[in-house]
Amino acid sequence: MRWLTDPLAVPFMQRALLATLLLAVAAGLLGVWIVLRRLAFFAHAVGTATFPGLVVAGPWGLAPPVAALGAGLGFAGLLSRMTRRGTTSADAATGLLLTAALALGAILASDVYRSGAGVDRLLFGTLLGLSDGDLALAAAAAAAAVLATAAMARTWLATGFDPAGARALGVSAARGDWLLLALLAMTVVAVLPAVGALLVSTLLVVPAATARLLTSSLATLLGAAVAIAALEGVGGLLLAYHLDLPPGPAIAVIGGAGFALAALASRTRAVR
Amino acid sequence: MNASAVTADAGAARVEVAGLAAAYGSGDVAVRDVTFTAAGGEAVAVLGPNGGGKTTLFRALLGELPATTGSARAHGTIAYVPQTERSRLDFPVSALDVALMGAYARTPWYRRIAGADRTLARAALQRVGLAERAGTRFGALSGGQRQRALIARALVQDAGIVLLDEPFAGVDRSSEEAVMSILDELRAEGRVLLIATHDIEQARRWDQVLCLSTTQVAYGPPAQTLTTTVLESTYGAEIVVIDGGERAIAVQHHSHSHSS
Repeated sequence: MRWLTDPLAVPFMQRALLATLLLAVAAGLLGVWIVLRRLAFFAHAVGTATFPGLVVAGPWGLAPPVAALGAGLGFAGLLSRMTRRGTTSADAATGLLLTAALALGAILASDVYRSGAGVDRLLFGTLLGLSDGDLALAAAAAAAAVLATAAMARTWLATGFDPAGARALGVSAARGDWLLLALLAMTVVAVLPAVGALLVSTLLVVPAATARLLTSSLATLLGAAVAIAALEGVGGLLLAYHLDLPPGPAIAVIGGAGFALAALASRTRAVR
Repeated sequence: MNASAVTADAGAARVEVAGLAAAYGSGDVAVRDVTFTAAGGEAVAVLGPNGGGKTTLFRALLGELPATTGSARAHGTIAYVPQTERSRLDFPVSALDVALMGAYARTPWYRRIAGADRTLARAALQRVGLAERAGTRFGALSGGQRQRALIARALVQDAGIVLLDEPFAGVDRSSEEAVMSILDELRAEGRVLLIATHDIEQARRWDQVLCLSTTQVAYGPPAQTLTTTVLESTYGAEIVVIDGGERAIAVQHHSHSHSS
């Protein structure tokens, strides 16, 4: 059991563990809505788009979450502008912008600000140096996800299920969509310190997508996504600690394995 | 005035459309010169080709699309029954969950759905013959069962006006009869039914027929409305007349839309 107890005796790991559990609640719950509303690629792109913001945050003297949020909102604004005329599809524009953001971040980091080894931390997360601010943001994102899911579940469900009929049901689709996108941005920014700009999907998409393989009831889905995010997050932290990896890739590898297992389990169940 | 005032007295349900024209954001007029009135207890077939304005008329009545001229007024609670293929079949909702959506409008965001509404939803499923499938995932139901679950949702809304978009598309024979008899019951209860269809035989079964081909071609009882002249104006060259003009069918050119 020392592989489990030793890391937990270390203060920075205790902070990382607390952050991971809070983020599991935020990303697990919100991830269900992201997956149900087919926003997974968008969420991944928002995460990547924060990279140039994170690179300039230090040199420009900005708080990283503020710079990340600015970059993410800039991405969303450009995406909406590029797709307005209908000549560029949303997925093509998303792919283009996320590549541009990654390239811009790489150039800024290597040639302008010479960020050096810090780039890995921005892209893949870190176990070390999670600040009080990072923890506070994780807690706020978790609380927001719980409250919003309680208040908005019906709106999001009805709008996603049948967009044409939602208005006749007395559901305000537009208000619900704006709130969902705002929460998505907040949660992306909150998971950045832990998993980095490139791997936000490991917490925000993978657990919910895995849970979808295992259940078809909304309540179970929400609970299972949080549980899977927590298990994979803690597993990834331990793996990262023992193998000296950044936490993002460690959680991502476990997430991939978890998804494969769930896919196998659901197929076996279907055959039987 | 507001083009789509929705008032709440379901007892005297009524649809009044006067000189309606509506357009999408691109500026192309999707439908124009539509004028008709349907009172409680009337079922109106809205007949026309794809792109003829059936969906646009519904969206104007639902208040999603403003009228550019004229008005589309729904006096009574309005419910929309979409084509089941248009709803997300992979969603984690059961037939009962779908029926319960009918109670969303009267449930404040901070409350759970009331017990009375749960009873109502179960009764609605019972009425459409889905009591035993209440817990089945919506996507796992047959086309006809999905249609009936969506009608149960309209029943829970207690809508005086029900708009149905191609309710018989993708529905097997036995379910078609079940859906048909439910619609007859709804009409007998004094509700207004608007049934979008491109099937002329289907349109003959209802009280009134509204023929739409971007503009209103005709409105009235099927016997007088569904003449060869009217059908030719509605469908253009896509019409085939058989049985010496007594019967006509519309030929839908579906094959083109599926090539990629």
